[in-house]
Amino acid sequence: MASTDTGRQGRPALWFLAPFLVLYVLFIVGPAIYGLVMSFFHTSMVSTGLGEFAGLSNYAEALSSADFWSALWHTVWFTILTTPPLIALALLFALLAERTTRGRWFFRLAFFLPYVLPSAVVALIWIWMYTPELGLLSRAVSAIGLGEPNWLGDPDFAMVSLAITTVWWTLGFNFVLYLAGLAEIPRELHEASAIDGAGPWQQIRLVTVPLLSRTTSLVVVLQVIASLKVFDQMYVMTQGGPNFATRSALQYVFDVGFTDFRSGYAAAASTLFFVVVLAVSAVWLVMTRRQEPEL
Amino acid sequence: MRPSAITRRTLLRASLLSGAALTGCSSVRAGLLSTPPDPAVVSYWNLFGGGDGVRMRQMEDAYRAANPHLDLQAVTLAWGNPYYTKLALATVGDLPPDVAAAHLTRMKTLVQGDLLEELLPEDLERHGLTADRFNRRAWDAGLVDGRVYAIPIDTHPFVLFYNTEICDEAGLLAADGTLAPITGPDQFQDALTRARQVTGRYGATHGINSDTASPWRLFQTLYAQLGGEVLAEDGTRVVLDDTKAVQVLDYLRTLTVEKGLMPGSVDYQGAIALFASGAAGFHLNGEWEISTLQTAGLPFSMALVPHVFGDEYAVQADSHTLVLPVRADRDRAGLDRALGFVRSMLDQSLTWAEGGHVPTWQPVATSDRYAALTPQSHYASAADAAVYDPPGWYSGSGSNFEIVMGAAVGAVEAGDLTPTAAVAQLRAKLGELAATPPPV
Amino acid sequence: MNASVDRRTRLFNRTCVGVLIAFAILWLVPLAWAVDTALKPNSETTNPTWAIDNPTLASFGALLAQGDILNWYAASFITSALACAGTVVTASLAAYALSRLRFRFRWLAFWFILVGIMIPSQVLVVPRFRELGAVNLLNTYWAVILPQIPIAIAVFVFKQFFDGIPKDLDEAARIDGAGFLRTYAQIVMPLARPAVSAVAIFAFVWTWNDLLWPLLALSNPEIMTIPVGLATVQGTYGIRYADTMASAVLGALPLVMVFLLFQRRIVEGIAGTGLKG
Repeated sequence: MASTDTGRQGRPALWFLAPFLVLYVLFIVGPAIYGLVMSFFHTSMVSTGLGEFAGLSNYAEALSSADFWSALWHTVWFTILTTPPLIALALLFALLAERTTRGRWFFRLAFFLPYVLPSAVVALIWIWMYTPELGLLSRAVSAIGLGEPNWLGDPDFAMVSLAITTVWWTLGFNFVLYLAGLAEIPRELHEASAIDGAGPWQQIRLVTVPLLSRTTSLVVVLQVIASLKVFDQMYVMTQGGPNFATRSALQYVFDVGFTDFRSGYAAAASTLFFVVVLAVSAVWLVMTRRQEPEL
Repeated sequence: MRPSAITRRTLLRASLLSGAALTGCSSVRAGLLSTPPDPAVVSYWNLFGGGDGVRMRQMEDAYRAANPHLDLQAVTLAWGNPYYTKLALATVGDLPPDVAAAHLTRMKTLVQGDLLEELLPEDLERHGLTADRFNRRAWDAGLVDGRVYAIPIDTHPFVLFYNTEICDEAGLLAADGTLAPITGPDQFQDALTRARQVTGRYGATHGINSDTASPWRLFQTLYAQLGGEVLAEDGTRVVLDDTKAVQVLDYLRTLTVEKGLMPGSVDYQGAIALFASGAAGFHLNGEWEISTLQTAGLPFSMALVPHVFGDEYAVQADSHTLVLPVRADRDRAGLDRALGFVRSMLDQSLTWAEGGHVPTWQPVATSDRYAALTPQSHYASAADAAVYDPPGWYSGSGSNFEIVMGAAVGAVEAGDLTPTAAVAQLRAKLGELAATPPPV
Repeated sequence: MNASVDRRTRLFNRTCVGVLIAFAILWLVPLAWAVDTALKPNSETTNPTWAIDNPTLASFGALLAQGDILNWYAASFITSALACAGTVVTASLAAYALSRLRFRFRWLAFWFILVGIMIPSQVLVVPRFRELGAVNLLNTYWAVILPQIPIAIAVFVFKQFFDGIPKDLDEAARIDGAGFLRTYAQIVMPLARPAVSAVAIFAFVWTWNDLLWPLLALSNPEIMTIPVGLATVQGTYGIRYADTMASAVLGALPLVMVFLLFQRRIVEGIAGTGLKG
């Protein structure tokens, strides 16, 4: 049964996949493979062709570069700082929004609106908020009577400031995914548990959250990957400073590739970075594969 | 289902209508179809925003009025590294503009990648573009192996802005109302102290947070006054003089961390805002901020950055140049069109100078009309004392070299690094760059 | 129904609304601050108070005086709409195959596409530039549209959603003799409206906001997209907080409108006319 099925559905499957796959190969996989090839050459942005063959020297250079490793660590640190709040708050807000009867559009607007702003705009708004002495946030903190942190100027605090901005900016994405997930849960389940005498908190804990596990696993992996790929916030808000304390892995790739014109070396650094992302995703795969045995 | 069906139909109709309307306009057609370049067009890319952008558009319009038979297509692109990325990619991909603006310190890497047309003396002479009509220092700094690849249109030095009211109250003005000369580290520190007594906040400001350029410019100015150099042999050797570097960093640390005369953590815009709102008597920045401060409407003037150290005056600067990217289809007529455009921009140097830049074009730089342009002409001599970023593939305005240098200097001013630790960090990072094989 | 549970629920719900409103306001403050700043003259932005002493539209006027801004809107609308439509169609087709059809290399195709989520677009710039330059498509809308269509996450989101739709529905249709394409178009897609809305919004927003690639690919000011165009007039120096925030507002305004338009569809989808049946 299964084998005849496979034979019958192979051709339509190809037609369904083809439009996406053609563009995908042309503009994502193809360029990525070209990049992989470049990583073995001293390719330069300012000349044609691939340039001189470099063997593994680009990789050796990246692996022995303290700057590369610290940039990688900054990326991981940023991911650790942003992922938990972005998931917990998005889930919380979605659960709360689900319980409101009126004005849901208002909450959707409030939490999702920042997400539609371009990164440059977000950065400008928040640089303005963080401006020492003049900025809104700086004055708000001093008004409460706390010592004002040097938001973007303190090497130890700058990453936290970037994380706050990022939570504000990108929470809407997870929020919408959770709302979509909540919409899938049949209302009857809630009603049934309410009749069983479960309070609202128990309903959330025992019925809703477990039923959202598919959404949560999706949100977690997308969030981790998005955080690892962080670039815009640093690029516009701190340029990797102060004193390189917030230079992310992709900012490093940008610096060596675009500013220094070293396309080959930048490709090697990105390949190594890609391996890290792949490893993180593989861990997630192992963890979630149990949930979806059919794949 | 019903209401959504109506919405969908309305939407569809609206989008079809607007689509039909849009295909009527030329920009959309240009976007959907690739158009071959027109030979009677001069295309020009630049990176001038703000007040510079306004003045550059005036100059472009004047060129259009004088050359009605030619079509000038000017494109302003955001300043920053993507500009050079784009210029390099487009030239390699054979789609470059006829003329492009580039920083003097950045165009040399493009030359090494064979991306810029060499400008031969006989061609330049046809348009009156001879070395003797330019500021000597800017012209010489732009040569690569004695050859010309770029025409410098200005020198843009680091300068000292001062609030005339605050400085007057602090007794820092001379009889003619300009800033009395400040020489030596003690006098400068004293001037800042007196300015602070008036403002109650700071003596001076300059950008530090997420701004590596300003700390580098200030450091380079003082370090070059001591005769110090950072790189040699096209960037393959680091010749940082530790003693001199520590001396400069110690001084900057005194002004910021120890005495609090300058804020150690303020970003570029914040530094200007503090000066504009009267919280500081002085502001250190590039002269291009003149437009901002004129709009802000505070009483201010401008002067050379003081001669703080050493015997010979020096100040950090760069020049905007116009370059001709290599393109296969450029014939003699195309070359003349491009050089004619360059000449037109030089002839309008006075307009350009209003934005603070010191003209390199001597017929304007030595004219009475420029001398009458104040406060711009107050610091014109900076062009002759200009110190450019050292040659090297990783050096120049906005380069990784400036980021490495500025990050360390900024960290000292913020109190995060000691001067000796900063020098050690500089040695490590510069050493790595110097040992890297150049990408060109 | 149990009355005490009912009262407990009502109290709980009311607390929820309170907490949520507090957070929503917190989320809106930076945006309100941006609009507030945009309405001030540049010179008064250095004194940061909410009060606007001299409200002015000068910053907006200066931006609109740039003749190209309507062209930029047109370019952004065309590229974003086409890229968004392309993404929704191609990604949902691919996801349908991955979710519903049995074929030999299904898992391979799935992971092949999944890997794309992890590839950072910054890395692809140089090869893409050489590629599109070779076929003479640089400096056209297509240079912006085509690379934006294959969004791997979109396939993933669709597949997750399709997997959640009971298979009996389309199997019933198949027994009635409907082909795969009809099942896809008439059964699965109408049920997947929340996913369509979500993907459409994200695809639209991502194309609309993309800066680095369009900046490199477009050189003709007439066909620049909004972020590229605004970056050229913003100026990177000076204290132009008001101008900057005005350009932020102008750049985001159409997106806010598009979102308001689509968000009704999300509401519809979530109210679940189809799902609850």
